[in-house]
Amino acid sequence: MEQFLNQNIAFKEEKPIIEFRGVSKTYPGGTHALDDVNIKINNGEFVFIVGSSGAGKSTFMKLIMREEKTNIGKITVNGFDLTSMKRKQVPMLRRTMGIVFQDFRLIPTMNVFDNVAFAMHVVGASGKDVRREVTKALSKVGLGHKARSMPNQLSGGEQQRVGLARALVNSPDLIIADEPTGNVDPNMSYEIVSLLTEINKKGTTILMVTHDHNLVRDFHHRVIMLDGGKIVADNAGGDLA
Amino acid sequence: MKLASIKYLTGEGFKSVWANRLMSLASTGVLVACMVIIGLAILIAENVNMAVGNLEKQNVVMAYMKDYTWALYDEDRPENTSSEETTEQADKNGIKESDYIIHNEKEAKALCDEIAKLPNVAEVTYVSGEEGLESTKNILPDGQEEYFTFLEEEYGNPLSGAAKVTMTDMALFNETVEQIKKIEGVSSIQSQGDLADTLNALKKGIGVAGIFIISILVIISLVIVSNTIRVTMYNRKLEISIMKAVGATDAFVRIPFVVEGMLIGIISALISEGLLYFCYRVATETIISTLGTTDIVKYSEMALPLLLVFLAIGILAGVIGSVIMIGKYLKKEGSEFAAI
Repeated sequence: MEQFLNQNIAFKEEKPIIEFRGVSKTYPGGTHALDDVNIKINNGEFVFIVGSSGAGKSTFMKLIMREEKTNIGKITVNGFDLTSMKRKQVPMLRRTMGIVFQDFRLIPTMNVFDNVAFAMHVVGASGKDVRREVTKALSKVGLGHKARSMPNQLSGGEQQRVGLARALVNSPDLIIADEPTGNVDPNMSYEIVSLLTEINKKGTTILMVTHDHNLVRDFHHRVIMLDGGKIVADNAGGDLA
Repeated sequence: MKLASIKYLTGEGFKSVWANRLMSLASTGVLVACMVIIGLAILIAENVNMAVGNLEKQNVVMAYMKDYTWALYDEDRPENTSSEETTEQADKNGIKESDYIIHNEKEAKALCDEIAKLPNVAEVTYVSGEEGLESTKNILPDGQEEYFTFLEEEYGNPLSGAAKVTMTDMALFNETVEQIKKIEGVSSIQSQGDLADTLNALKKGIGVAGIFIISILVIISLVIVSNTIRVTMYNRKLEISIMKAVGATDAFVRIPFVVEGMLIGIISALISEGLLYFCYRVATETIISTLGTTDIVKYSEMALPLLLVFLAIGILAGVIGSVIMIGKYLKKEGSEFAAI
């Protein structure tokens, strides 16, 4: 009984920011991407999502961002029930998260400052707030001095840090990083994950898809491994690799 | 939507016109071409209408009166009732006052006033027999007026007094002629009913052709702007995908494109107005110098309506084009943009 109570208390303290209950996803072509996935990711966690190509990682992330809808099961993210969510509510969900892409996705015609400011304009921030927060976010990623540079004047690592600043600027509760180190050199990969770890220490939940086993091994975070659309391993210690 | 967002998005729309300047230039060029053709169609229609209107004014109806000359010459004049029935004396031609209705100018003008009261009658002028004879002589070829001179010398003026009637609406021509005929004192009507019918058909034809041409050009303008915006959106699919990823609402994504479309429409309208003014001036100067006519619609009278038409087309094409084209892009998500 005492054990049950302790578990219950622990459950209440660790509020899940992401919860999958019996989630399956089959695409119209018949591809089974996810099969009965059950998982909880708590607020403030740093989670690596690993797995080979076709394991279901991308679908897992798309479901969280509500780019795709589940066929079976229930998904809750940041308090939003994604299963019953209407299309017009999707922007509100996405405003609670920051997304970092493998290919950076910076707008080539905008300078670094405007690329980051863009995410704040979307939520209707005032010009004064935009200036203050963008400057702060660029300082956090160490690019305060490159605010006026254009994306093509930056290295891959720098571009990804701009992407990270853009994900951070609205102070989201959750950052989703889809292979953020996929297009940068190993040194820069460590720098980016270190930055994400720093951000995580301040309370932001990080969900990062990666193929880089060295990163998983060196940064001791929770690891969820997907294979054939199922969760085959979930190690909170980060020693999966 | 917050004011800060509206300000930002409007600015983005303006920036986008410049950022995609080649595409903006191309769509402005084609829109201007369409608008100038629409403007020309309107101006041509207006000029033809004016010409038809002038012809209508010339297409007068002569309502001849039952006066002394009518009693003397007309085949339908009443039988000369002899003085046996009345005490009235017939004159040297055997005509008594009771044989005709209009005895003097006062009565003739009263008849004109009565005709003027008819609903479709614009203007009535009294033309006395003498004036009628004089103007008839003037329009006859040289030498042929002698016939009238002979008649006049032999029997007196052969023409009755008449009411020269101009109508407001030529579509009601035949109806009005019938109404005039029924008025007591009117003997016969001289008119060109066929010309009236031709003019009416011409006006209708121009109206229908004008609407047809303008409708087609408006649709073409819409398609052009839609395609321009589609290309712009294709070029900016990365931007749209990022917008959506960071939580932009449909309206947020749409507004810069709508502003861009409107701006291109407004710029095209202003250029078209200027260009059309220049073309029309050159064309009218040439027409005036070669044909000598001055019956041409002045551009200053048409400038404001044309500008309003151009602005309406431009803004409509911009807004509808962008709303239609962006609709399907808004439903795309993340990686779907890469597949476009």
